Amino acid sequence: MDQWLNPYYLQIVMFMLINAMLGISIYFTLATGQLSLGNAGFMSVGAYTSALLSLKAGLPLYLSIPAGGVAACVLAAVIGIPATRLQGIYLAIATLGFGEVVRVIILNMKVTNGALGLSGIPALSVQIGKQLNSLGLGSGLGGITVQQLSNLSVIGLLALVVIFLVFFALRLRHSRLGRAFAAIKDDEHAAEVTGVDTVRYKLLAFFMSAFVAGIAGALAAHITFYIGPKDFSYHRAVEILLFAVLGGGNVIWGPLLGAGILTLLPELLRTVADYREMIYGGILVIMMIFRPQGLISEETLRLWRSKLFPAAKTEQEAVARRSAG
Amino acid sequence: MMLALKQVGKNFGGLAALAGISFEVHGGEILGIIGPNGAGKTTLFNLITGVMSPSQGDIVFREKSIVGTRPHQITQLGIARTFQNIRLFGNLSALENVMVGMHCRTQAGLWQGLWRTGKQRQEEADIREKALAMLALTGIADVSQALAGSLPYGKQRRLEIARALAADPEIILLDEPAAGMNESETDDLKQLVARIRDLGKAVVLIEHDIQLMMTLCDRIVVLNFGQKIAEGDPASIQANPAVIEAYLGKEEG
Ligand SMILES: Nc1ncnc2c1ncn2[C@@H]1O[C@H](COP(=O)(O)OP(=O)(O)O)[C@@H](O)[C@H]1O
Ligand SMILES: [Mg+2]
Repeated sequence: MDQWLNPYYLQIVMFMLINAMLGISIYFTLATGQLSLGNAGFMSVGAYTSALLSLKAGLPLYLSIPAGGVAACVLAAVIGIPATRLQGIYLAIATLGFGEVVRVIILNMKVTNGALGLSGIPALSVQIGKQLNSLGLGSGLGGITVQQLSNLSVIGLLALVVIFLVFFALRLRHSRLGRAFAAIKDDEHAAEVTGVDTVRYKLLAFFMSAFVAGIAGALAAHITFYIGPKDFSYHRAVEILLFAVLGGGNVIWGPLLGAGILTLLPELLRTVADYREMIYGGILVIMMIFRPQGLISEETLRLWRSKLFPAAKTEQEAVARRSAG
Repeated sequence: MMLALKQVGKNFGGLAALAGISFEVHGGEILGIIGPNGAGKTTLFNLITGVMSPSQGDIVFREKSIVGTRPHQITQLGIARTFQNIRLFGNLSALENVMVGMHCRTQAGLWQGLWRTGKQRQEEADIREKALAMLALTGIADVSQALAGSLPYGKQRRLEIARALAADPEIILLDEPAAGMNESETDDLKQLVARIRDLGKAVVLIEHDIQLMMTLCDRIVVLNFGQKIAEGDPASIQANPAVIEAYLGKEEG
C-alpha cells in the first residue's frame, strides 16, 4: 500500500489529471475546427492569477482557482474577438505568438517576480489536510497517513473536475450547440449559410478552452507550489497540441489518452527524458504521416461499439429503419 | 412581393459579374434563373444570402433591406439555399445535417444541453422529428444514420435541400440541384420542387435543363454576361429573340 501511495506516484497522477484538463481545453477549440495554441498562455494566466491572489491577497483557494479561470476568460475575450476571425494556420501562429507575449510580460513584471517565478504558493494538499484535521482525521485513516489522505483528496478533486469536463463534452456533442460546433468544424461557410452564427460559437469555444486552461493552470500552481515563466513556454503549447495529435482531436477520449501517455512516457523512460523535445517532434511527424486523425478517431469508437455491443447496434439500425419507413 | 432586387451589381476587380439586375420573387412561385456558365447566377445567390455584398443596388426582403446582413441572419429571416458544389457536413449523419438546419429555429443553450432540462429534451425530440420529416419529404429517410459524406451524389443533393428546408424558409434558392443526376433522379427532383412550392414556399431555381425549367417554372429570368436579358413566363421566354440569340450555338452551356 505504502509503496503505491508514495508522493512521487501520487504527483504523477496529479499531473496526468492536469494534463487531461489541458487536453480537454484544446479539444474545445478543435471541436469548432480552430487550431489554437494559446492554451499555455491561458494556463499561465490562470496559474499566476490564482497564485498571486492566494499569496498576496490571502484569498482562499476555492475562490482563487475559479478566479484564475475567469482571468483567462477575460484575456480570451480581448484577444479572441480578433483572433477567432483568423483561419487555420494563421490562428495557430497568432495564438502561439500570444502565448509568448504573455510569457514575456510575466517575465518582466515585478508582481510575478520575473524569471525567478513565484514560490511558496499555498498548497492544495495542505489546505485539504487542514480540513481533514478539523474533521478529526489528523492521525490518518486506517494505514494511510493524513498526508497521503490529503494527496488522495487532491487527486479525487482533480478527477472530479476531469470527469465533469468529459461529461460536459459528451453532452455537448449531442446537443444543439455541439452540432453547431461540429458543423462549423466540417464546413464553416456552409454552417454560416445554414443559419449558425459561426463567429459567436467559435468565440464561445475559444472562451471554454481558455477557461479550462486557466483552471488547469491554477490547480497546477497549487500542486507544484512553484511556478515560473519557463513552465509556460512555447514547449508547453506544443506539448498540449501533442495530446490531441497523438490521442486524436476529433473525440474527447483522444486528448485524454494523449495526455495520459505523454505524462507517463517521460517518467517511465527517465533515461531519455533529456531527449523529450526530440521525441515529441518525432511523434508529431510520425502521426502526421501515418495516422493524422490520432490514435482514437470516431471510426475507432464505432468499431469498438459494434464489437462490444453487437446487439445494441442492430437494434439501433432497426430503429433507424423503422423511423425511415 | 417578398424579395426584390433593385439595380443590383457586383464587380470582381474589373469584371462586372452582375450589373443592373432587378427582379422580384413572389410568395409561392417557382422562379427559374437560366443563363450560360459564368452569367452570374451563383453570384446572384451569393448576394441574396449575404455571402457577398453587392457593389451597387439594394436587396429587399419583406420591406427591409438585407444588404450587409450576415448569412446566418438572412437564413433566420427566411431565405435558405443549397450550393452548386455540394457543401454538406460530411462527418455528421444525414439526420444531424438536417438538425443543424433547424439551428436558427431553436433555442437550447450550453447550460440546457449540459443538464438536459425538460425543455431541452422536448426541443431535441421536436428537432429530431421534424428533421426526419424533412428526410422523408426529400425521399432519403432510409439513410438518416449514414454519414453525409458517404452518401451517393444524388442523395447528397437531396440532403442539401432537406437541410435548407429545415430552416423553414419562405424562399429557398436551389443552385443546379439536378446537376449530375440521371433522368429518373431529375424527374423525382422535379416533383420535389413542385412539392416544396405546394408547401407555400417560393423556390428560386438555377438549372441548365431548359426542358425541365420550361415545364416547372412559373416565371423565368434570363442572365447573360451579368445582364438580365429577359424575364417572363416560360412561353414568352422561349419566343424571346434575345434569349434565342444568347443560346444559339450554345446547347446548354
Ligand atoms: N469570388 C469570386 N471572385 C472573382 N470572380 C468571381 C467570383 N465568383 C464568381 N466570379 C466570376 O463571376 C462570374 C460569374 O460567376 P458565377 O456567378 O459563378 O456564374 P454562373 O453561376 O452563372 O455560372 C464568372 O466570370 C466568375 O469567374
Ligand atoms: Mg453557378
